[in-house]
Amino acid sequence: MSLTVEAIRDCLDGAVPAIVATCAADGTPNTSYVSEVHFVDHDHVALSFQFFNKTRENVLANPSATVIVIDPQTAAQYRLALRYLRTETEGPLFERMKAKLSGIASHTGMAGVFRLLGSDVYRVLSIERIPAGELPAPPRRSLLAPLRVSSDRLSRCATLGQLLDEFLASLEQGFDIHHAMVLALDAPGERLYTIASRGYEASGVGSEIPVGVGVIGVAAAQRTPIRINHMTSDYAYGRAVRESAERSGWGSMLETTIPFPGLAGTRSQLAVPIIAGGRLLGVLYVESPEDFRFRYDDEDALVALSAQLGMAMHAQEQAAESEEPPATAAQRSAPARGAPAIVRHYSADGSVFIGDDYLIKGVAGCIFRKLLSDYSREQRTEFSNRELRLDSSIRLPDIADNLEARLILLEKRLAERCEFLRIEKTGRGRFRLRVDRPFKLVDVPG
Amino acid sequence: MVQASPALPLLDEEHAAFIQGGVSINAASSGPGNLPAVSRALGCRVSADRRRVTVFLAVSRSAALLEAISASRRIAVAFSLPSTHRTIQLKGTDAALAAIETGDHELAERYTRAFASDLAAAGYSEVVARTLLAHQRSDLAAVEFSPTAAFTQTPGPGAGAPLKRT
Repeated sequence: MSLTVEAIRDCLDGAVPAIVATCAADGTPNTSYVSEVHFVDHDHVALSFQFFNKTRENVLANPSATVIVIDPQTAAQYRLALRYLRTETEGPLFERMKAKLSGIASHTGMAGVFRLLGSDVYRVLSIERIPAGELPAPPRRSLLAPLRVSSDRLSRCATLGQLLDEFLASLEQGFDIHHAMVLALDAPGERLYTIASRGYEASGVGSEIPVGVGVIGVAAAQRTPIRINHMTSDYAYGRAVRESAERSGWGSMLETTIPFPGLAGTRSQLAVPIIAGGRLLGVLYVESPEDFRFRYDDEDALVALSAQLGMAMHAQEQAAESEEPPATAAQRSAPARGAPAIVRHYSADGSVFIGDDYLIKGVAGCIFRKLLSDYSREQRTEFSNRELRLDSSIRLPDIADNLEARLILLEKRLAERCEFLRIEKTGRGRFRLRVDRPFKLVDVPG
Repeated sequence: MVQASPALPLLDEEHAAFIQGGVSINAASSGPGNLPAVSRALGCRVSADRRRVTVFLAVSRSAALLEAISASRRIAVAFSLPSTHRTIQLKGTDAALAAIETGDHELAERYTRAFASDLAAAGYSEVVARTLLAHQRSDLAAVEFSPTAAFTQTPGPGAGAPLKRT
């Protein structure tokens, strides 16, 4: 069987620059180095177009190119005969290559010099294994076995909360990934908010990333996995998010910003969009303090597992819309005792403060206000997703909005930031507000 | 493009030392149908007058390249130091197979050590570098040419400019 591009993907991760040769129309050969030969599919690759150079000039006149790539671990060498097809200057392939190149550039001291101008897509006509010495390939663990186990774990989950916990636990136990988070999409706000994380000092639940910013935001905007194998300031969170927030006018609300939990010295990053039924639900983000932690195979495995997570999230959302009868009769809880706490709700942005401490904002803030208001008025503690959906005061974006994800966010923020209020799941599409201390709800008009 | 003048060779002494150091070397030519052929070279020798450059190739890994060179006589050779990215490309139109001279095998061995050591300095595996260049002595071929054009190809705004004498 002839070699396919998949079989040599380890040579295409940018660890070693590739050699490229082209010929001018008059037959003058040219040879150069190319930072990135990127895997597109079984018979296509894309080369990074970084400078207007002879290689570029030649392929536009004569589309034949020959490339030599090297396996960074075994030193196996392959010669690829290529035919230039087109250049992409935006879109998923371009963004994947741009992010990867940013890592390569900073790792090789070429930050600011290497910049992707385009992704030159080539058809692979043939792949030849160059007869030369090779080192034994280091043993590699199959990722299919942990994928199967993880997939099985996900299929047993009955709630979104369980699903997220099992998903992150599977990444750690099955894939040895110790720093991971799941962010849900807030489509109208064009941002993603963290709903679960594992492996960080602070959970960062509720922290937000604008769509389009950094590895996570670009993965969401382009609906494509983004993977970087080295530390690079171009895609670092922190200052970038803050600056973007200021530009987009959220700057005035920085006091309501929950710090993003990511590793300070991250060296490998992979963001995978979570998609179900063609709809973007969120992004999985994993990272590592090691270089080259995530390879093509890791990306494949996490894309597959994230697809299952997406379908399961979608199914949970659908199920929660058709509530089941409460397992127990609605309770009127005994009135809470103690001095009342002040809970302020700002209608301008839906933000909620308990005492002086920021809790949450946006749709989740409006949901929380409704729960507290109903409780204050009629001591009600039992609620359903469906009534939230129908309540005009909450302004849920639309039927497709992931309400379960917003409730998870509220539940976790309360568990982290408030000692006397809890959200507890009581059944499919139902939950209870638990109040352990009296409070006074203050509406601050905006 | 700088043409070699009868008075001065294209390469000055510093260039000659650079391309004979621990640089990554690859050689290309144009084959039938204007298809590019390319191979990694195993070392380089510059003549005393710096007007002739010889690169070494493994015959078993360079069939298409050697065929293209014998048919077209054209050659392009890039020399790049991994640790600094400094790159020079030479071109010629009179490339031909040449005899292996005394000391060439030792030159190829010294080159392997120098290349592996520079790659290690750039953070790559030294054993991978040695494996890349490992070859049987009987497999070594020499291709000689007179550089007629020389370019600096270091990534950046000046890439592609004619090589300047230092």
